[in-house]
Amino acid sequence: MTEEIDLSKPPPAEPYDRARDEAQRARLMKVWETPTGWRRISAVNNSSVGKWYLLTSFAFFTFAGFLALLIRAQLAVPNNDLLSQSLYNQLFTLHGTAMMFLFAVPIFEAVAILILPEILGARDLPFPRLSAFGYWCFLIGGIFVCGSVFFGVAPDGGWFMYTPLSSDPDYSGLGADIWLLGLSFIEVSSIAAAVELIVGVLKSRPPGMRLNLIPLYCWYVLVVAGMILFAFPPLIAGDLLLEMERAFGWAFFDPDRGGDPLLWQHLFWIFGHPEVYIIFLPSIALIATILPTFAGRPMVGHSWIVLSAVGVAFLSFGLWVHHMFTTGLPEISLSFFSAASEAVAVPTGIQIFCFIATMLVSKLRRSVPMLFAGGALAIFVFGGLTGVMVALVPFDWQAHDSYFVVAHLHYTLIGGMLFPLFAGVHYWYPFVTQKRMSDRLGRWSFWLMFGGFNLAFLPMHWTGVMGMPRRVWTYDVTDGWAVLNMVSTIGAFVFAAGFVVLAVNVLWPRGKAPLVVRNLWNAGTMEWSGEVPDKPWGVRSIPYIHTRYPLWEQKELLGEMDRGEWFLPDAEEGKRELIITDILDARPLYVQRVGGPSYLTLGSAFCLGAVFILATFHLWALTLLFGAGFIGFTLWWLWTGTSEIPEKPEKMAGRGLVLPTYAQGNNSPGWWAVFITMTGDMTAFMGLVFSYFFYWTALPDFLPGAAKLPGFGWLLIGLALLLASWLTALAARERLAGGSAGQAMALLVAGVPLGAAGIGAWGWAAWSAGLDPTEASFDATVWVLILWMGLHLLLDAVMRLYVAARIWRKRCTPRYRADSANLTLFTHFLALTAVVIFALLALFPMLMGGA
Amino acid sequence: MAPRRKIVPPGDAPRVIDQGSVWILVAAPSIWAAHFLISYWVAAIWCAKLGRGTSLAEPRWIIAGLGALCIGAIIGLAVLAVRRYGGVFVIFEEITESSERGRDRFVGHVALLLCVLSAAAILFTVIPGMVLGQC
Amino acid sequence: MVLAGCGGRHNWLAAAGEEARAVETLFWIVLVGAGVIWALVVGLAVYAHRAEAKPHREREARRFILWGGVALPVLVVGGLLIWGLLILRDITADDGALTVRVDGERWWWRVIYDTPEGPVTTANEIRLPLGERALFRLTADDVIHSFWVPALGGKMDMIPGRETTLALTPRRLGNWGGLCAEFCGGAHALMRFDAIVMEPDDFAAWLAQEAQPARVAMDDPGFAIFAEEGCGACHAIRGTEAQGPVGPDLTHLASRDKLGAGIYDMTPENIARWITETDAMKPDIDMPSYPGLRGARLDTLVSFLMSLE
Repeated sequence: MTEEIDLSKPPPAEPYDRARDEAQRARLMKVWETPTGWRRISAVNNSSVGKWYLLTSFAFFTFAGFLALLIRAQLAVPNNDLLSQSLYNQLFTLHGTAMMFLFAVPIFEAVAILILPEILGARDLPFPRLSAFGYWCFLIGGIFVCGSVFFGVAPDGGWFMYTPLSSDPDYSGLGADIWLLGLSFIEVSSIAAAVELIVGVLKSRPPGMRLNLIPLYCWYVLVVAGMILFAFPPLIAGDLLLEMERAFGWAFFDPDRGGDPLLWQHLFWIFGHPEVYIIFLPSIALIATILPTFAGRPMVGHSWIVLSAVGVAFLSFGLWVHHMFTTGLPEISLSFFSAASEAVAVPTGIQIFCFIATMLVSKLRRSVPMLFAGGALAIFVFGGLTGVMVALVPFDWQAHDSYFVVAHLHYTLIGGMLFPLFAGVHYWYPFVTQKRMSDRLGRWSFWLMFGGFNLAFLPMHWTGVMGMPRRVWTYDVTDGWAVLNMVSTIGAFVFAAGFVVLAVNVLWPRGKAPLVVRNLWNAGTMEWSGEVPDKPWGVRSIPYIHTRYPLWEQKELLGEMDRGEWFLPDAEEGKRELIITDILDARPLYVQRVGGPSYLTLGSAFCLGAVFILATFHLWALTLLFGAGFIGFTLWWLWTGTSEIPEKPEKMAGRGLVLPTYAQGNNSPGWWAVFITMTGDMTAFMGLVFSYFFYWTALPDFLPGAAKLPGFGWLLIGLALLLASWLTALAARERLAGGSAGQAMALLVAGVPLGAAGIGAWGWAAWSAGLDPTEASFDATVWVLILWMGLHLLLDAVMRLYVAARIWRKRCTPRYRADSANLTLFTHFLALTAVVIFALLALFPMLMGGA
Repeated sequence: MAPRRKIVPPGDAPRVIDQGSVWILVAAPSIWAAHFLISYWVAAIWCAKLGRGTSLAEPRWIIAGLGALCIGAIIGLAVLAVRRYGGVFVIFEEITESSERGRDRFVGHVALLLCVLSAAAILFTVIPGMVLGQC
Repeated sequence: MVLAGCGGRHNWLAAAGEEARAVETLFWIVLVGAGVIWALVVGLAVYAHRAEAKPHREREARRFILWGGVALPVLVVGGLLIWGLLILRDITADDGALTVRVDGERWWWRVIYDTPEGPVTTANEIRLPLGERALFRLTADDVIHSFWVPALGGKMDMIPGRETTLALTPRRLGNWGGLCAEFCGGAHALMRFDAIVMEPDDFAAWLAQEAQPARVAMDDPGFAIFAEEGCGACHAIRGTEAQGPVGPDLTHLASRDKLGAGIYDMTPENIARWITETDAMKPDIDMPSYPGLRGARLDTLVSFLMSLE
């Protein structure tokens, strides 16, 4: 009973039976079929969503690239009046915003959603509907933000939206709101994707793929998704503060009311610098996957690359102030960030030398993907070296906000991200379409882009040295920048021509072209195990993996998989099934059933999009209506698609493996998703805590006198009530496990008024002390912390009622109680939030007052 | 029919924490992060509360002392990575053994490398305090 | 006065200031170093790509990771870090023989010299004595700006609610370009100023002249128009009742080189256009256009303004 199966010596497979194979294939086909025609938009499978994500990201790239051409056309000659000042300011803001938020980050998610499950030999990601939801959020938000330019109200404060330019309604209009709300909405989709990908890499690996066997691509995805989880939330916190100031006049960034414009820069760059690496690492991951294929051997220094990825991820959080070297912070503070900015060159160097070492020991096959990878190396190394320069404070005092920095950032991003991505496009195109791209056009597009890029951006360093600041819409002939700018403009158009060639190569209809052979490049990673023509199920059966490059090192694997000799070769119950494994050794834990095509996620994303868009225009009634719609759709989706009680407690997964069909607590991916999401949520909360201490450090009289502090007694009562509410969730979980469904329901519901009373007490404490958020930054900070708690309690109430209803309808039972476990986990985080807020509002002022 | 054998899923959280296998990967860089943030915070508060031009003598030694302490902790982690996980400082081989032992060695090895990187990064953080004398 | 060549007045490498020279040395050395490292890395990659016939032994290649990936970066960036910090320590200081307060406005510069006799206010033009360290105390009133004279040295942001400082020591005579480097909305591109480095004696004479009130006869017909049109509500002409604090001080307007915050030559034609087509000359600024002002009335006003030397 407790004997664990030894996966390396499983019982032999049953002899091949053609009739059984065909019947299994037919059943799998029916279950995994992609809806056709209009119903296609209800698809949730990673291959559909991934493709849409990819095409949409490239559409935004093309749009933002077109804006760049307009910018270059305007700057081609001095005193040009092609574009007006106001339009130019909108165009460069939107160019940066769209490239960063609508292309560079989403394309990582797009590629990962498309290829991660296949590299892991999995049929799909663990939460396919979440991917679909994320995609629709991205599409709606992106169109909203980009569309604004056609109405002349695009954001125009630069893509980092410095306050007070962006916070004071006198200086910025609707554009700033569109930026804030539109991008907050898109950040939701990034975090959704991060949760999905982290759980995917940790829990959806094929049986046997231990930590030391995980492909490099998956390590990078894990690291980058983790970075998103810690980098994006501070910006969400910043967005919240900024929008509260814009919409309701709360005093966060206005120095006249005790605010500080620099707070925004901190919150923005705590996000913004890691983001550069969030963009860069996934593309390096593509090279790390492509290079071994053409070298025909495993990567040299696999573990060193893992080390570098993890090291870069950490160090990248110690760089943010290097965007603020000229803000007059004490030199010692700047120097720490200068030191970290230099230190990050070390792990980056290791990655590049691992690639070079792999090239040195092998006979490289020439190919278009390798051409792009080589171009990437040449460009990126240069960008990295100028990065080492601008990380030196005195150097940056000259280079900062000049065209030198514009050139530097384009070298790192285009070399570190775009060229590897194009290498990936050429490499995986046959994987997605089963057709080949034209090599001839591929080489043309490479040389046009490589030449055009360097023509455009190499002289730009010199334009910076000649003193041209960035973000200027015009300049005078006497400035001496005309020739350099003209050259850059020509280069930009050559680059664009190269991209057009590439786009033609990708989009060229190849209906009649022959299909490629299976594993066209002779790669070693699992995504090339797919049959030709491809099948919607991903893998015919889920194999046991015990090597880093299974297609090279497990010779029999393809045949065994195709004959259905490995796990889950069938879909008898008509359900989409995945195997969930453990984090360390990928031992199979249970069979997860995932949702199929659904319109619910679409409805949910549409309503959430409407909430953000309507809030931009301050249409509060409609906002509330769609908010209710969002909650309704989401609950419906969860109700029908998650934690379903299985028809039988366990099933045969093949090769003698019997796996449970239901998991709860930390066995279930849902629990991990809650855990990871709430980690992100806590990071956003930490952004608010950071703001509190930032004010305290920067402003001598941030803490008011005792009379203006919220009352200690009420705060304590509030905390007690909130913790009592938390205890009801714990007790409910225990009562449910003990078999008392009725008591569990009662406890869950009872927690709602307790929570409401708790937040009420806090609200009263602040109100009765006369704290007015529009008056002073301390007041606004207190209220935003209470607001934060209140919003979470609202969510808590909805979830409690949902779980109570599940118990009532017998969808959550004493035996199958994943919902209750997930809710309890959520409330742990809530309790922690409450304690920290109490410490900030009651204890810290007392401590400082006493000192 | 293949013989029916059952497995009892071992659960995940205990295997992550109790058997100590993943936390060691992030421990050393986390120590760097803590040292970095504390150094920044100490200097920022010092300079904000005492004004420009103040001598950095005290914070400098706090930062360096804390750095020494952190490097000590990292050395402890490195010893743990070697002893408990069999981590080795190899560059001439790849750890591809498909066994728990192989996984452990891999984790120990990467943890060891991260210890080195983190210690170097802490040294980098200490440098500014040594060079700059005042706010 | 020696005017710098047209092309180079914003050039970091003009060596016109002590601080710029420190960075210039750094610049050339890191540029050459970066070129060498780039050539090595890319050369190695190209070599590896071509060395098809005879792949290298694995131990050898793996050693590259240690030397090229670990040892080289640690030494190079560690050394650079220390050198950069030493330069930083040398070019920052909180004192100067001369203190100049500069306040960034949308989109011009309010300049105040602190002299023993009291503050002297001017706008959009900064004159500095050769060889004397000047300390700039920088503030902003509305949004963030950044004060930058590339030929003299680095830049420093001007942040509402804070005061930042920047020290510059001019080493070459000339009219150097100054810019706003931080995007400040609207006419950011047209927020310029002139930084004119003079012999110390000339500078002292200029400052003494600048401290004088304007020589305006109370019955000057141009001043009457100035007053009637309400210009004094925003602009100050010291020595008259025009004391508006909103726009640039015009006391010695005509003695400046440029009009409109460093963007147009100070000529009667430009002043006339500035008054009548303000928005076309510099979009989005607060000053309204006076298209109704024309003919003799405009000429009188312009010649009055041109007399403010």
